[in-house]
Amino acid sequence: MNDLCGRSIVDLARMIATKEVSPVEVTRAHLDRIAALDNTLRAFITVTADRALAAARAAEATLAAGQPAGPLLGVPLAYKDLFDTAGVKTTGGSKILADRVPAEDATVIRRLSEAGAITLGKLNMVEFAYGPEGLNIHYGHPRNPWDAGTHRMAGGSSSGSGVAVAAGLAAGALGSDTGGSIRIPSSLCGLTGIKPTYGRVSRAGVLPLTWSMDHVGPMTRSAADCAVLLRAMAGYDPADPTTSVLPVPDYAAALTGDVTGLRVGLLRAFFLDGAAPEVRAAVEAAAKALEKAGAVVDEVALTEVRHVAAASFAIMGAEALAYHAPLLRTRAAEYDPDIRRRLEIGVVITGMHYVRGQQVRALLRAEVDAALAKRDVLLAPTTPVAAPPVDARQVTLGDGPADVRPALIRFTRPINLSGHPACSVPCGLTREGLPIGMQFVGRPFDEATVLRAADAWQRLSDWHARRPVLGSAP
Amino acid sequence: MLAAMTPHPFDLDTLRRAAQLAGFAWSEEELQAILPVAAASAALLATLETIDVGAGEPSTQYRML
Repeated sequence: MNDLCGRSIVDLARMIATKEVSPVEVTRAHLDRIAALDNTLRAFITVTADRALAAARAAEATLAAGQPAGPLLGVPLAYKDLFDTAGVKTTGGSKILADRVPAEDATVIRRLSEAGAITLGKLNMVEFAYGPEGLNIHYGHPRNPWDAGTHRMAGGSSSGSGVAVAAGLAAGALGSDTGGSIRIPSSLCGLTGIKPTYGRVSRAGVLPLTWSMDHVGPMTRSAADCAVLLRAMAGYDPADPTTSVLPVPDYAAALTGDVTGLRVGLLRAFFLDGAAPEVRAAVEAAAKALEKAGAVVDEVALTEVRHVAAASFAIMGAEALAYHAPLLRTRAAEYDPDIRRRLEIGVVITGMHYVRGQQVRALLRAEVDAALAKRDVLLAPTTPVAAPPVDARQVTLGDGPADVRPALIRFTRPINLSGHPACSVPCGLTREGLPIGMQFVGRPFDEATVLRAADAWQRLSDWHARRPVLGSAP
Repeated sequence: MLAAMTPHPFDLDTLRRAAQLAGFAWSEEELQAILPVAAASAALLATLETIDVGAGEPSTQYRML
């Protein structure tokens, strides 16, 4: 692999700023790699090569003229295809919106561009973000790069984001997370991905799935890279009334590497107990390593998680149907039949179910808040298993067999309901060489501590630095 | 009152009415195909009725503005 395609965002930004490499050189390296690998990997729906090179040349001119440069000048990123991009089609992974070309950028895309980032293209995803496996019948199922022999799930719904960053096709990506769609592909593809607090990052210009549960965040190869992207994206946006006016801290400055005295609550019941043995062992080993480094680890339980499946179905099903009903009434045949059925089933939800779901949500949030009142972060597996084959219908968990779809979202969905920030990080490999992920969950708007814990773990381990082997591609 | 939240049993007529209310003109064949999943989903929703939520207000997000 071209060394530039394996570099971190932090490294690339520094190398470009000091003129060690040019933005054009970095962009070309990534475009060459996309051209060589993406027919197989199916990470991209649209590659904006000409635009990317034009932006890279402009970045080079900025540097040459000695003009002020943003913190991401020349860094090549790619975006899940539900973020509006001015003049570039934004499909939501659907056939229905295949020709939709927004006039304006989503707020987060605009902010990253203003920080100097180069847009390589738009990434594959589950149609309308409604599913955790990462599959897409319209644009091809993205292929998890960690297994050259078996076509495995990349995890979804931000599957193209997971594949692109893991395979070195982009230095970082954006995803959205309604039931785990940033954290699940991060876990299955060996990445670091953070779902910020609800209200921390603008959703304006992002195709919705469930307004009250959708979160936007970065997917990268380290917590340090997530810190840089999140700072550039986060903050109040008048175009999104749910965003907070709380100031955005310098997340990178919070990455001290020190976990001395960090209080970590290990979630065993439901979470560790429900994970496959290899996953459970990896997370337990990580907890021990953190403890050895000075963290104070205890165990804590969240009893309200037993109601999450019903509550999240009531909320997600109702909101998703409300958004899609007009399209379903007129263009149902153009949906993936499986996605269509999942949306249509929302007709069984009544207003009372929806309200009861929101009441359960308040209970869960209060319980997570209580657990975090005496701790800095909670720790749990991100997914109960590593990447299943694309045709898998069931997986084996710690407590027996389970359907693959509910299994994949089991540990992430509660935190979409509660709205707390959560960051998935790699914490091991299975016997088959597939990544295992765990997530740190923090207090509302305390992404700094979540990222500090994630970064400290990555200074104690090298799982995040492992890369899939992809042959002789550039 | 809570018992009325989820019709039981959730049968074809119930599904047909729910679909009509949502503005979907599904054929009998489509209704039959959806019914098993609809009934299972209704059973899942019915569990919400068993939860003691006290006097807690429904909540959707943090409002730390």
